[in-house]
Amino acid sequence: MSKEKTVKKKKLSSVSDNIDVKNQYKGWLYLSPALILLIIFSFYPLLNTFRMAFLNGYNGLAIVGGEKFSIGIENFKTVINYVDFKLCLKNTLLLCVITVPISTTLALLISVALNSIKPLQKVYQTVFFLPYVTNSIAIGMVFHAMFTQVGLGDLIQTAGIINNIIGVFGIGPINFVNVGSTWGANMFVVCTYIIWHALPFKILVLLGGLQNVNKQYYEAAKIDGTSKIRTFFRITIPLVSPMLAYVIITSFIGGFKEYSSIVGIFGEGMGPGGNGQMNTLVGYVYNMLPKSNSGNASAASLILFGIILIVTAINGYVSKKKVHY
Amino acid sequence: MKKFIALMLLVFICLSGFLTACGDKEPTDSNNQGSKTSHSVPEGDVTVTFYHTMGKNLRDVLVKYIEKFNKIYPNITIDEQSIGGYDDVRDQVITELQAGKQPAIAYCYPDHVATYLRSKKVVDLNEYINDENVGLTEAQIADFIAGYYAEGKQFGDETKMYTLPFSKSTEVMYYNKTFFDANGLKVPDHWFSTGASDDTSMEYVIKKIKEIEPTSIPLGYDSEANWFITMTEQLKTPYTQAVDNVADRFLFNNEQNMDFCNKFRSWCLNGLMTTQAIYGGYTSGLFTNTSTNDSGIVIHSYISIGSSAGATYQCPAKLDNGSYPFEVGIATIPQADASNKKVISQGPSICMLKQKDSKVNDAAWIFIKFLLTSPEFQAEFSMTSGYVPVLRSAYELDAYKDFFAGANNYKDGIAALSAKICMEQESAYFTSPAFVGSSDARDEVGKLLVSYISAAENATEAELKQLFTDAYNRCITLNQ
Amino acid sequence: MSEFNKSMKEVNVESASRSQRTSKIIRYTITYLFLTVMAVVVIFPFYWMIISSFKTMDEYRANVPTLWPQNFVLENFATAFSKANLMNLFAHTMFVGVVSTVLSLIVTVLSAFAFSRLHFKGRNLMFGLLMATMMVPGELYTITNYLTVSGRLPFISEPVEALDITNTYAVLIFPMLVSVFYIYLLRQTFLQIPNELYLAAKVDGTSDFKYLWKVMLPLSVSTIITITILKMMGAWNVYIWPRLVANDEAHQLITNGLRGASFTDEFGETNYPAQMAAVSIVSFPLFLVFVFLRKYIMRGVSRSGIKG
Repeated sequence: MSKEKTVKKKKLSSVSDNIDVKNQYKGWLYLSPALILLIIFSFYPLLNTFRMAFLNGYNGLAIVGGEKFSIGIENFKTVINYVDFKLCLKNTLLLCVITVPISTTLALLISVALNSIKPLQKVYQTVFFLPYVTNSIAIGMVFHAMFTQVGLGDLIQTAGIINNIIGVFGIGPINFVNVGSTWGANMFVVCTYIIWHALPFKILVLLGGLQNVNKQYYEAAKIDGTSKIRTFFRITIPLVSPMLAYVIITSFIGGFKEYSSIVGIFGEGMGPGGNGQMNTLVGYVYNMLPKSNSGNASAASLILFGIILIVTAINGYVSKKKVHY
Repeated sequence: MKKFIALMLLVFICLSGFLTACGDKEPTDSNNQGSKTSHSVPEGDVTVTFYHTMGKNLRDVLVKYIEKFNKIYPNITIDEQSIGGYDDVRDQVITELQAGKQPAIAYCYPDHVATYLRSKKVVDLNEYINDENVGLTEAQIADFIAGYYAEGKQFGDETKMYTLPFSKSTEVMYYNKTFFDANGLKVPDHWFSTGASDDTSMEYVIKKIKEIEPTSIPLGYDSEANWFITMTEQLKTPYTQAVDNVADRFLFNNEQNMDFCNKFRSWCLNGLMTTQAIYGGYTSGLFTNTSTNDSGIVIHSYISIGSSAGATYQCPAKLDNGSYPFEVGIATIPQADASNKKVISQGPSICMLKQKDSKVNDAAWIFIKFLLTSPEFQAEFSMTSGYVPVLRSAYELDAYKDFFAGANNYKDGIAALSAKICMEQESAYFTSPAFVGSSDARDEVGKLLVSYISAAENATEAELKQLFTDAYNRCITLNQ
Repeated sequence: MSEFNKSMKEVNVESASRSQRTSKIIRYTITYLFLTVMAVVVIFPFYWMIISSFKTMDEYRANVPTLWPQNFVLENFATAFSKANLMNLFAHTMFVGVVSTVLSLIVTVLSAFAFSRLHFKGRNLMFGLLMATMMVPGELYTITNYLTVSGRLPFISEPVEALDITNTYAVLIFPMLVSVFYIYLLRQTFLQIPNELYLAAKVDGTSDFKYLWKVMLPLSVSTIITITILKMMGAWNVYIWPRLVANDEAHQLITNGLRGASFTDEFGETNYPAQMAAVSIVSFPLFLVFVFLRKYIMRGVSRSGIKG
């Protein structure tokens, strides 16, 4: 009996060995269409970013004007010397650490709930799909209406929708985004925005993952009388773990590049009254580009690149251990 | 992961070769063609690209004049493109310059041109203006409003002219005429009061308004950056200068500027005035407000300083019974010194960028000249836009006189009234020096004014001073 | 005694099933409540977009935002339509959207297959490199890519005219065709399909391609739909790149056509109500297509799932 099994196993593994040899060129063949385009439109620009970062004071327009640049690390020095560099770094890191877990958990709960109901499922799915056809400018406008307090001192024209709501419970009014608002209040609003903005995409991906899962697992659990919570942790999460890993890793990468959400709320001043207290590293990059200062922009991008690389490596390591394929 | 790190190392090694190769890259073409050559109307088919930000109504005016232009020069095609906002035009031009595919003519603000200059592709317009064949006559130059025309020379070298004014706006003071008349208030013409009976000072008037109506915020100022810069011009205090050394460019961190900030700060703390950022909404909305707040009062301002081009936004909408809530009056903004009147000049200019084929530049010039020396175009464009003409002769046209005749204190005639005020203050226009980083200075002083006047009541002098230092340091470290 | 016991048991079972029913009801109530609250939260910006498109600019600029337009105006829709040649714009966008979605799906499926099933040297390294391209802000790519499609190559000082592909459909389709984002997503799905299935197919002599086509794709349909939706929406909303590389009349896309003409008022201020109107117009057909498409495809797919 056991002998038979080992023979079978051997057979299978020898087949797989065979495949491995053959697949050497096959892998590259399947990859080639993507690779050709990637080399031209992604790898080359990435390499170019490295180049620009290490040419002191590189400026795309100055190249046209015939100026030359020496090799060095001046651009990195300039970026680090920027008075708000530490603030940018802190904001960038914190935004990620706060928003990724919350939005992922929420999205997971919503998808599981969506997947578990029968009546009205289609209606709810459509509703959660609607944000896709919403322009992101509209979200910025909504936030403005919700959090902006209009007025001066005691003379308040409107406290904003949120303040009116929490006012019912005797809280506030809180200055969320206006001049004089605290860094913490701003952070709260920006995080809310990011979580909100990220939800639809995550729901779409996780729901897709859940729909791929075989219903038999749940039926088996039901027959065994496994509690719902146990089913969630023991069956749902492992089965959807590849999609979870995907969502977490990509939203970390996206979170580090956060910029448009802050502009959506505060405008290009990146803070209440444009004071820049919510500025991020990518915000700095966007400040350099209109001056064609690609050298500094590239250096800042590479610093960011380094951070994302480390975090992604950690993420990848953890998911290798935890993800169940 | 190990492999990945190894690969990254490899990339670094490759790069060093890549870097040296590119560092030695030859300049693509020589740009000094010599400025003494004379130009002529090009022959054969030429296409001139023109980037702008015009919305639909303005574009219709432009197209109308392009058709007229083509009756005279059928061989020159004008490819006009509306790119989006001013920043979109800037970003696209910067990118295209790097590929050598820049448009021949572009809408611009001075600091955009300062950035473009490093490419050495911005045409010195004097080369054309002084040309014996296609240049401008003395009379044509004199027809431009001097303050607007001078803008083209503010790039650090007075002998070079890089932009021509296209259409301009400025800041004006809107006031609630009905309220002023009812309470016997005088329209303020200077900022700070010289004594208790100085009833034409802003300080006196806003205090008076606050006495009459304690729930009002008497003055709303739209743009903080404009306010700061205008004050430095009026008071002749240092702001910026276009020099090579980065550290010497930003001069706004000084005691004199702190002085006027202190005055405005006390106004703000006493609820006498606000700005767009501090108020949290459009100050024009505050000025025209008719809706009650949660406590049942209508919060108003009675004076609003904002762009002359946005006049219609400063007028309240008609009530249901067909009447207007109040009449709006317009006046020149207050001054600090009657002998040194200054108001800011804003609005688009145009610049010309070098093309591979110099024929295209010649054609572009012919078009620029046609458009900018045509009072009819200037008049029609300004009547549609709310901007004001850059040519004196435009104001003399019958069409424009009719427009002026329709000026009144309500929504339908306010644009004309605003244009009229602009014309009256033509000698007072100023622009600040433009250089790479001048927009940083502008942004920073705007933020500075906001944080300064809205800082907590118990803020110490050192804390306030630190705000100036921070703004200065940001400017410096952003431009190294 | 035994009678009593029996009846006790019955009572127990009954109460147990009753409590189960109550807990079920509670669970469903909580689920629906949670979903409804989240739905309202998520849909609010969409609602705002729609009502904003019916507001006047004056109302939009008012200091107190209104939750419902004071007076409905259709003017914004007229503005959004007025200048643009909508049919042409629509046709261009449809063409670019469909072609790039189809091509992108092919490329994505092939690469995801290679990364999940085929073993070859350098696979993980390659995958790491792909991921690395996502870690740099996209703006930096834009400039370099623009130079590339304009025929400006590294080490050559003069642009090569023959390689200038601006103002073609190719330049709208190819530079943005490959998305590491989607390759990664599909790879994750493919990895969930048990390897035994693949090995068994190999023993049967099924070719890789046939296996991919007959087994893997049908099992990953919901991810494929997700990618289709995202890619199509992306093609529909992309703005900066097309404006830069192909803004001529023959290729102009809908976002560029609508924005350039009508989104700034006379004073250079953004006319948000008109912009929202334009976005609503543009998104609506797409929304309908996806609602129906999704329903149709999901019905056709056997819901057998992947695992097991």
